[in-house]
Amino acid sequence: MSDLQDSTVADAVDYASDYAVEQAAEQALQALRRRGFQHAQVTASESRRRELNVAHNEPSLLRSSLSHKLAATAIVDGRRASAEGSDVSADGLAALVDQLWDSARSSPQDEANAVSAGQRLQLVQGPQADDAQADPRALAEALRELLAWRSAHAPAMMIEEGQAAHALVRSATRTSGGSAIDCSLGCCGLSVFGLAREGGRTSSFNYAGGSAHALAGAAEAFGILRLMAELTRQIDTRPLGERFVGDVVLGPGAVDDLLGWLMEQLGDGPLIDGSSLYRERVGQVIASPLLTLRSRYDGPGCLPVSADAFIAPPATLLDGGRLTQLTPSLYGSRKTGVAHRPVAGSGWVLQPGATPLAAIVAAVPRGALVGRLSMGDPAPNGDFSGVIKNSFVIRDGEVGPALAETMISGNVAQMLLDVAAVSAESIDRGSERLPWLRIGGLHFS
Amino acid sequence: MSHFETRQHELRKTRLQMVDGNLTANLRSVQAGVSARAYVDGYWGFAAAPAGGAGVAAQVQRQAADNARAMAGFGPRRAYALPGAHAAGEQASHGGPLLSAAECSERMAALHAHCMKTYPGLRSTRVMLTDESHLKQLQTAGGGRSLSRIQRAAAYVVLVGEDEHGAPIELTEIVSGPGSLADIDWSLAALAPKLDVLHGHLQAKRHAVPARGGEHTVVLAADLAGMLAHEAMGHPCEADAVLAGAVTAGLRDQRVASELITMADLAHHFDGRELMCPVYVDDEGTPADDVTMIERGVLRQFMHSRETAARLGLPASGNARAYGPDDEPLVRMRNTAILPGSSTQDELVAGVDDGYLLLDTSNGQADSTTEFMFGISLGYEIKGGKIGRAIRDTTLSGSALKVLQSVDGVGREMKWSCNGYCGKSQPMVVSVGGPALRARAHLGGE
Repeated sequence: MSDLQDSTVADAVDYASDYAVEQAAEQALQALRRRGFQHAQVTASESRRRELNVAHNEPSLLRSSLSHKLAATAIVDGRRASAEGSDVSADGLAALVDQLWDSARSSPQDEANAVSAGQRLQLVQGPQADDAQADPRALAEALRELLAWRSAHAPAMMIEEGQAAHALVRSATRTSGGSAIDCSLGCCGLSVFGLAREGGRTSSFNYAGGSAHALAGAAEAFGILRLMAELTRQIDTRPLGERFVGDVVLGPGAVDDLLGWLMEQLGDGPLIDGSSLYRERVGQVIASPLLTLRSRYDGPGCLPVSADAFIAPPATLLDGGRLTQLTPSLYGSRKTGVAHRPVAGSGWVLQPGATPLAAIVAAVPRGALVGRLSMGDPAPNGDFSGVIKNSFVIRDGEVGPALAETMISGNVAQMLLDVAAVSAESIDRGSERLPWLRIGGLHFS
Repeated sequence: MSHFETRQHELRKTRLQMVDGNLTANLRSVQAGVSARAYVDGYWGFAAAPAGGAGVAAQVQRQAADNARAMAGFGPRRAYALPGAHAAGEQASHGGPLLSAAECSERMAALHAHCMKTYPGLRSTRVMLTDESHLKQLQTAGGGRSLSRIQRAAAYVVLVGEDEHGAPIELTEIVSGPGSLADIDWSLAALAPKLDVLHGHLQAKRHAVPARGGEHTVVLAADLAGMLAHEAMGHPCEADAVLAGAVTAGLRDQRVASELITMADLAHHFDGRELMCPVYVDDEGTPADDVTMIERGVLRQFMHSRETAARLGLPASGNARAYGPDDEPLVRMRNTAILPGSSTQDELVAGVDDGYLLLDTSNGQADSTTEFMFGISLGYEIKGGKIGRAIRDTTLSGSALKVLQSVDGVGREMKWSCNGYCGKSQPMVVSVGGPALRARAHLGGE
């Protein structure tokens, strides 16, 4: 397999675009002020993407896309509305302003509505358009290596969808409070979704992928090679066939589900409607002392900026199991009285432990090594039940056959407290770096 | 070049959310773009750009063709003759004038006020509104010229209470349908009786007991059967999943379900009425046909794009759909349903000595093995044919092949809904439908 044909590579995603995002954001802010809004936040952005796709183990498609967006939130007399549009012409801006005016004027007044002030940032991060890592030939090379590894080491693996991509987002955010945040954020991505099969027998599907500043070595770092190897051992499965209370060793993908539930609990929705289990728990131990969760906002594809245009300082959300803060937006903070400490949308590291994964598994008398949780949203109190997918039985410290039709149930909040071991190994997907966790007290059925 | 398509696609969305009377989300968006996709010597090239600029379409078309040709660097790949006709025609718009922003806000506030006044002890309410409208103009090199639309709207009212231990519990009433928020009836007058029923369930859920983990006889209410159809056998019957090795690949013309089960992905009409997500022409320009996946228990057909049809030597079915202006078409469901039988839900419940009645679901997932799951947010025990205590949130799972083979009763009343999204590298608007079912399946629990 050779590189992409040189004759056309240079043309990829070279649409002429003179979209000056800084100027567009300034103009939009001025237009909103002229219309009568007292407060506003505007973001103008341009996204470019090059992407090579694999379908059914073969390179199949080359994509190049360009998109523009103008997004605004505006407030008049304490009434707020938001609008987004891809038409960044003068007519498009006028239509967006009219839409916002109509929506905001009919919204209820709310003194919690406000926009950021005084935030300043200029950031260029990751591979930019002309960098070698963004070249389609670099993407092709990453795919070639991935497919060669599959052929050599996991021939039963069927990559249903795979991709190597470079994305570049230039954005400019302006607020009526004087915030000015300009970013050019580039990153590469590599991912695989698929299953393993032999004859008429198949494993469950699974996914691995992540973001990086360059794709060399990414397949291993993201856990893609591990995933393909494990899937080939999950073609033959068996039901657990018994009910018991035991341990799970959750893989990074399943750990992400746990942390996602926790992050949701700390944010606007549950804080405003009063359903958060952690509203009054700042400063208290809410998780195992083995858990420390830190920000990594300089990770590939991450920006140290919150959705409401605040620069997010580094944060340690869980410090040895102790909750250090809640994460409301400015609106959520003003609505609930909870201190406003901005966090970014992605970029987290769950600190690895000192115990090798093999030793963690060896200490489990009865349970499962869990690759993926397939479950509904946990109940507001944290109760959940779900199917464990891409998982292996553990008996007396030994990893046994892959499992089918096996469910676990428990409570997510309790699981965070019941973490008994954190692995030394972790999977670094760029935006998150997560280890394996051993947790006891789950009901298997 | 054996296939070339160009799509102009406008996507408009509204999303509003009111939490306890506070309008926490109030967003309207418009995305318009031009995309092109070329099939050259077995490879695809795709390109997309914002609509509006001079010469954008020509530029995008050129880029898509260049991208496809560039893929030749990976070596020769088998090029298929892509089957399927190229449709021409225009799909009419749904509904009348849109609701104003003021009308939406006022109605949401009225719903919140009604709930807090009528249901003492309620901790919180959330009212959410969503609608979206897709307008797609498609041209294919094979002569296709079509204009198609997807328009759907949904209103959600969430009642949040407390269980007997003070922990939060919640239930959701959803109204969804084709058109905009002006075309579905989410007025207070229409919703009040439904909210009374929902609040009754919430009171029962205050004292809910855990489900017993393991396999049980369950009656799935009509609202859940569509989810079963979509997750359990819909995804494994998408031909790209079949090509990847889903277990359905080797089961055509074999019995995979009870004789009571007929399951289809319907293009645009059922029983003489237009469906909630009508697709007359897909995003490759193929005229859309119904796909009967299971006919009286026997696996018959898969859902196809032109390419999957070519690879399997079968007709294209019009299932290639793209979600956004910069998405390429993938094999997706449209209106997926289990077709009705002859029982009532009460009759199905009466025949259960020890089991569960499952009334509402949150989300679901499928698998290539046909093992599926979906969250159960409302259910009751059945003891001696009578409905008993409410159960806590749980998960229903099983192998679709085993569950569908165990079906021994199918209801006669169909229910359809089109809220939420199907996820498969792109989101997608779909509808699901079905009657009540009785089967054996696995419930999560202690």
